[in-house]
Amino acid sequence: MGGVSRNLVELVRRHHEQGAPTALEVLKEAMDRRGEITDDDRRVAAERSGLPEAAVYGVSTFYEDLLVPRGARHVRVCTGTACFAATGGAHVEAVEAALGVGLDQRSEDRSVSLAETVCLGYCHCGPAVRDGDTVDAGPGVLDRVLSDSARPAPEPRLTSLLAEPVLTRPGDWAGFTTARERDPSELLAAVKAADVRGRGGAGFPAGVKWEFASRAANPDKVIVANGDEGDPGSYIDKLLMEDNPHLLLEGMALAGHAVGARHGFIVTRSEYPRSKPALDAAIAQARAAGHLGEHFDVHVVEGGGSYVVGEETALLACLQGLRGTVSARPPFPAERGVHGHPTVVNNVETLCNIPFIAREGADAYRALSPNATPGSKLVCFNERFARPGAYEVPFGMTVRELCEDVAGGMDGPIKALQIGGPLGGILPGTRLDTVFDFEPLAAEGCMVGHGGIVGFDAHTDMRAVATHLLRFGANESCGKCFPCRIGLQRAHAMFATGAPIDRTSLEQLLEAVEIGSLCAHGGAVPAPIRSILAHWPEEL
Amino acid sequence: MITLTIDGDEVTVPPGTTILEAARGRDIPTLCFDERQAPFGACRVCLVAVEGSPKPLPSCTTPVREGMTVDTRDPTARRVAAAIVELVLSELPVAPAPHTELAQVARMLDVGEPRWPGETHAVERDERHPYLAFQHELCISCGRCVRACDEVQGTFALTATGRGFEANVAAGLDQGFRDSVCVSCGACADTCPTDAITEISLLDLVR
Repeated sequence: MGGVSRNLVELVRRHHEQGAPTALEVLKEAMDRRGEITDDDRRVAAERSGLPEAAVYGVSTFYEDLLVPRGARHVRVCTGTACFAATGGAHVEAVEAALGVGLDQRSEDRSVSLAETVCLGYCHCGPAVRDGDTVDAGPGVLDRVLSDSARPAPEPRLTSLLAEPVLTRPGDWAGFTTARERDPSELLAAVKAADVRGRGGAGFPAGVKWEFASRAANPDKVIVANGDEGDPGSYIDKLLMEDNPHLLLEGMALAGHAVGARHGFIVTRSEYPRSKPALDAAIAQARAAGHLGEHFDVHVVEGGGSYVVGEETALLACLQGLRGTVSARPPFPAERGVHGHPTVVNNVETLCNIPFIAREGADAYRALSPNATPGSKLVCFNERFARPGAYEVPFGMTVRELCEDVAGGMDGPIKALQIGGPLGGILPGTRLDTVFDFEPLAAEGCMVGHGGIVGFDAHTDMRAVATHLLRFGANESCGKCFPCRIGLQRAHAMFATGAPIDRTSLEQLLEAVEIGSLCAHGGAVPAPIRSILAHWPEEL
Repeated sequence: MITLTIDGDEVTVPPGTTILEAARGRDIPTLCFDERQAPFGACRVCLVAVEGSPKPLPSCTTPVREGMTVDTRDPTARRVAAAIVELVLSELPVAPAPHTELAQVARMLDVGEPRWPGETHAVERDERHPYLAFQHELCISCGRCVRACDEVQGTFALTATGRGFEANVAAGLDQGFRDSVCVSCGACADTCPTDAITEISLLDLVR
């Protein structure tokens, strides 16, 4: 069934085996070199990647990084939800005014260009602006961009609340060294017994995915780490990839051992320019130490600026340099993924859980969060909180404990929280005693999702939040399925005019988008809008 | 073989069959489906209710399972399908010709006045090719032309373009059919459900 062209995937596979770059890689190089993409660049990309010219054209019109022509100075302003919570969107207009160019425009003399980006992962000190390759954020950022003196923003801190940390302990390959001496089935059994739920949003059991792939007939299997989830308000994967890359690599090598894969890929976000270099350096070290190489090796592929590429079928399309649109499942990646091979796609944080299980066993892992989802979770907070940052916590704490005791609360009452990303429902400040775990959050129309917690203070206009989220939803729709492609544009238009919302018509529209959409993007963008309708009807 | 129940009737089909194939002969509306092509799952108009599923499923990409109970006339599925077709009509600057599949499906689902009007596709025409004309404003991005060119003809002259509401289709590097690798086979025009791509002679007949 599916959707991605088998013929194009076969072309990509054949050229990949001969060492050819993907079309997306060639187009990104052209953009970085000259600041725009011409038809000649597209022809070169077709020639080098082996894709037909039309397919290359399609790729060149899909990814954000390829769409805005760049000036000598290229500035990207973050329009993620945390930056929105920090300024209500005022920073975007301020940057436009300061640079004298509109969003997604280049000045006539080509000296400067401004693009929108979601999200740079500096939610702990927003608003964030990327000037060239420097990401600046926090107080004074606009003045510094104005005076062309951007400086690197402080990196967020990662703190574990656990006596025995799983995710903040530096990857030391101890679990891998133990596991590789044993039969792969032992590790697979341990991961299944540990009941590791996917940390990227869907919460699907990792062991089940692994088992599907390990049973697939095709012996050429692939492990993919999804580091392009891109949920605005979450910088968890950024921290793991940049500050603890060996933990991720060890998790991938373990996954490779368990399912019998020899190849691994990490897809990083181009919005996090530090991720790929950090991982490449760690891969070189791991090869030198003999952990990676002959039996299992890893390559890093950087995405091109698309939120929906965080969905696994779209991620694999992006990895192969194709348009990052979603495909219907079946076939599942475990059956037919990268280059047509059985593929395990796990989120970065999910894979970072595996070394602990390999080292300490499933029982020790389950004991980390008694009477709750096994293991630990990273959560992160935006700059509205007193102590924003990322924290490793057990499942089962209340949202109040997380927001007040861990993150130090806000200056004033918390009006609302969006937990787990832009597809998560919104929890009102009156329901902070909700337990942070999959089922209790689902009962409130919310989700654990990716673990980002974006807090909105008492001054927040909830209609503006809805407008912001629908704009994001419409902009990031991959355009494949009809209800998401058209419905989110229409829903955003209803809010953007400022006219009163016809609730009946909105609810009918949300139903069509929610039920009809192909993937979780269209399926869940309505969730936070429904929360706002339920809890703040007077603000609409 | 797999046995399932569709609208109360027992049906037996080989494994790997989709619900849409198993329900052949019943009135399930479709827009992105063409039986000569691999299912695509984009239009979401072929929704049916499946017992045990919390929401309706697209029949074109859902394989049958033993003991499955399917309702092709489920009110929620039909309501959502009609809303989707209403959205599709609202993105076109003109109504599709009555003989097109899109117009037929709209009639079948009794789609009324658009509840969510708004921006429509910009008018953009490619009429430089001797046999094929492309009215981009009528394109609903169902992907049938792209797949016909890829799967049936093997020419790869067409691609999906843009994303979100800007999605459309282009020939070659968007220079139009004439300057692309198009071999004028007409498979794209043949499958197009809106007449966005037409064969020139046919267009003349209509005029």
